[in-house]
Amino acid sequence: MTVLQEPVQAAIWQALNHYAFRDAVFLAERLYAEVHSEEALFLLATCYYRSGKAYKAYRLLKGHSCTTPQCKYLLAKCCVDLSKLAEGEQILSGGVFNKQKSHDDIVTEFGDSACFTLSLLGHVYCKTDRLAKGSECYQKSLSLNPFLWSPFESLCEIGEKPDPDQTFKLTSLQNFSSCLPNSCTTLVSNHTLSHRQPETVLTETPQDTIELNRLNLESSNSKYSLNTDSSVSYIDSAVISPDTVPLGTGTSILSKQVQNKPKTGRSLLGGPAALSPLTPSFGILPLETPSPGDGSYLQNYTNTSSVIDVPSTGAPSKKTFCVLQSVARIGQTGTKSVFSQSGNSREVTPILVAQTQSSGPQTSTTPQVLSPTITSPPNALPRRSSRLFTSDSSTTKENSKKLKMKFPPKIPNRKTKSKTNKGGITQPNINDSLEITKLDSAIISEGKISTITPQIQAFNLQKAAAEGLMSLLREMGKGYLALCSYNCKEAINILSHLPSHHYNTGWVLCQIGRAYFELSEYMQAERIFSEVRRIENYRVEGMEIYSTTLWHLQKDVALSVLSKDLTDMDKNSPEAWCAAGNCFSLQREHDIAIKFFQRAIQVDPNYAYAYTLLGHEFVLTEELDKALACFRNAIRVNPRHYNAWYGLGMIYYKQEKFSLAEMHFQKALDINPQSSVLLCHIGVVQHALKKSEKALDTLNKAIVIDPKNPLCKFHRASVLFANEKYKSALQELEELKQIVPKESLVYFLIGKVYKKLGQTHLALMNFSWAMDLDPKGANNQIKEAIDKRYLPDDEEPITQEEQIMGTDESQESSMTDADDTQLHAAESDEF
Amino acid sequence: MSTDGERTSRVRLHGGKDNSLIPQSPNGGRKGFLPQNIFKMTTPNKTPPGADPKQLERTGTVREIGSQAVWSLSSCKPGFGVDQLRDDNLETYWQSDGSQPHLVNIQFRRKTTVKTLCIYADYKSDESYTPSKISVRVGNNFHNLQEIRQLELVEPSGWIHVPLTDNHKKPTRTFMIQIAVLANHQNGRDTHMRQIKIYTPVEESSIGKFPRCTTIDFMMYRSIR
Repeated sequence: MTVLQEPVQAAIWQALNHYAFRDAVFLAERLYAEVHSEEALFLLATCYYRSGKAYKAYRLLKGHSCTTPQCKYLLAKCCVDLSKLAEGEQILSGGVFNKQKSHDDIVTEFGDSACFTLSLLGHVYCKTDRLAKGSECYQKSLSLNPFLWSPFESLCEIGEKPDPDQTFKLTSLQNFSSCLPNSCTTLVSNHTLSHRQPETVLTETPQDTIELNRLNLESSNSKYSLNTDSSVSYIDSAVISPDTVPLGTGTSILSKQVQNKPKTGRSLLGGPAALSPLTPSFGILPLETPSPGDGSYLQNYTNTSSVIDVPSTGAPSKKTFCVLQSVARIGQTGTKSVFSQSGNSREVTPILVAQTQSSGPQTSTTPQVLSPTITSPPNALPRRSSRLFTSDSSTTKENSKKLKMKFPPKIPNRKTKSKTNKGGITQPNINDSLEITKLDSAIISEGKISTITPQIQAFNLQKAAAEGLMSLLREMGKGYLALCSYNCKEAINILSHLPSHHYNTGWVLCQIGRAYFELSEYMQAERIFSEVRRIENYRVEGMEIYSTTLWHLQKDVALSVLSKDLTDMDKNSPEAWCAAGNCFSLQREHDIAIKFFQRAIQVDPNYAYAYTLLGHEFVLTEELDKALACFRNAIRVNPRHYNAWYGLGMIYYKQEKFSLAEMHFQKALDINPQSSVLLCHIGVVQHALKKSEKALDTLNKAIVIDPKNPLCKFHRASVLFANEKYKSALQELEELKQIVPKESLVYFLIGKVYKKLGQTHLALMNFSWAMDLDPKGANNQIKEAIDKRYLPDDEEPITQEEQIMGTDESQESSMTDADDTQLHAAESDEF
Repeated sequence: MSTDGERTSRVRLHGGKDNSLIPQSPNGGRKGFLPQNIFKMTTPNKTPPGADPKQLERTGTVREIGSQAVWSLSSCKPGFGVDQLRDDNLETYWQSDGSQPHLVNIQFRRKTTVKTLCIYADYKSDESYTPSKISVRVGNNFHNLQEIRQLELVEPSGWIHVPLTDNHKKPTRTFMIQIAVLANHQNGRDTHMRQIKIYTPVEESSIGKFPRCTTIDFMMYRSIR
């Protein structure tokens, strides 16, 4: 029965791998109508999900009982996608009515995919405000599979402080090898088709696959029957390119092709041979591979680990090429002579090649995949349906033989899918290399079989490669953790010391840019972000920060270019609409800006920053109630979003509810203790609350944190001025003049101080400078004030009006009212 | 300012032959239809057009708050009402359809600071529909309106800025603004207004009640976004 499904499933997987979702869905629907098995159901749901129709998959799975873990996981994933969090949680961990499953239960139930299940569950917990539980889930998930990054990221974002050193390490061999099958199976079963499949894959011919199969077959244990694998090879060949390989029992073809082996290896890898041998610290072996026997493999490998500086352009494909190349070299030089010491050992090379031929996530299954197809007797095929993805993780790691047995024979098709796409790779992402390493390290499980030296060496190599990745992840983890706890300088420091080919990637640069942004070093942030735009002009994440940076710098041209490009590129991303909103906000078209920020919220209601920006916009249009609601929404979505706490404080300040304002600023400061701007605001509020000493302390602290922040100094000067410490105020302002020599406000305040000191001529000189520095006359307040007070030819009657002015201003300005009235008194004396 | 003599000597443009030029109903009273082409007379002291208020907005010192108000008109021809008056399009206009004075009422939900009123009028297109005498009144409601400005327009073509500040150059705070068209050019009866905008001064979004800062170096630090 299942044998009959074989070609159909193969066709479906092939269609899926070619992103021909309509075909895949159609075929899967036919298959499901025919057999109505849970496996077919899962396949159909997968097709729906991958074609981006999570709701279809949800309703389909919902309408049928899901018993297998992979169905449950997919259903839960759909639930989360459709923001039915409670339902998702119930599926994963049992709901209110059932007993809640412990993490261990989940691990036993979901086996290999437990790390992903837990990560999803953690997401649900965090979304429903159970951070402690969520963090537990994330940590468990990470301990199961240290290759996962997103749980770590989530942990950092909810304010936990996971230790990267503890998280990203291969605790033991056991752990190391065990996490691989985990990742393999789950990758296949649960993840949408990755778009990162390497170009090299194209060069592969059916012969390769079959040959690989054969090699596997050859090397596999003799107790497995060597019966014809016709159905399998048929699928393979048919799937890959139906015209080349005839069906039938493999032997003749295979034997013929086995001789091609080195050749195919070369042809596969011939192209990139000229590429630079510079390699990242993992996943890539040196170009000039020494003979495996001399033990310098590892040494050489580790040497190169320090080598960096792959040119950023074209890096992605090159990397995979490199891997292929180097691995193939092992094959060429090593296998025939050295590796073939035992029957088993031979298979190492082919597998290496097979693995590297495709570095998409799916292909990580290939090593295991190949063997079952061949080793299993045809009559054993039926088990595929029942076994697919049901394998238990605890057993998976035991040994590769078991592995082979367990993997359903259908998987070859999967392999083929990953081989097919051209030009898939675009992201020079860590993920790429991550996948590669996974592949590589998957070999270790194979390597475990034999105890021969070269294999141990190979194993060590793989382990070292994985360790290389781990050490990179540790560094990145440290950097990200520092950023999330707003130790921005430290974060910049750590991230800047990454190898340059990792440094020059969008993700790393975006984090650095954000760090500069949080430090209010907008010039630096802009520089970094424009570099990101240059390297990865398709990057959307982080661009909202860039747009805000440009907003602060008032670079309207760059901002409008950015927002146009982003909105053209991805209309479904909140970042693009945030950029557009910022653009119009800078143009002071607040109504349009509000529209765009609302659109950002519409496309992603869980995007906290859009609420904050909308709130700021409502503040500008003085719709404070709406602004309050927006900021509160932002905090609801992300309680650690300090910008929103700041926004609330700002509104309370405007409403002159100073204690509330201080409280909210303080909340923001608790999240981001290094922000000089926040400290400055707190200082001003404290001054408004007549706590001048405290205010000075706070402002001093702010100046220590960021000596370049002119506003801190300005406010310190004004507090000093208000406390009648004119000398120190003047000194402060003189220093300030060095930092911002063109700021009219500084001269305005200097003028006021001189006025107080009775040095009218100096006061008038500074006032007129202040006026001159006000380019567009935007500053009516200064002008009017100065016009009125200091121009003797002003015809207005001084006495009455000045008094009115004084009272008016004292109503308006809580801070300087006292001085103002005094100033007026002084003025009226003068005139 | 045109003298009375000039005004009476001028003739209505629409009516008679010139009806074809202006498809709307003739603007004017029963009398005074003189189907006679006029010689364009230019008055030496025409009302000069003010700056485009968009530029004013860009400086960041003012903000349009018309959208926060409730607008009503004393009368309008169907399809030439508030929507056309507020659509930011200079081609469309409000046309009254009743007896003078024609009123535009702008009511705010809360007491609002208003600094400037901008009216777009175009004598070239509207001719006798162009207002010549406008009164601006403010108050809490319809019953206690007080006139704070009255202005006479002479063949205006462009934006007219009406400052709503008091004697001390302080912006007015009010619940309601009423704009009354007391007379049109050439004694026309109904009036056209193409756009009306209302501006409030923008408060500095930073802390501390200081004047606005002028350099980006300074501004960058004044808020978190």
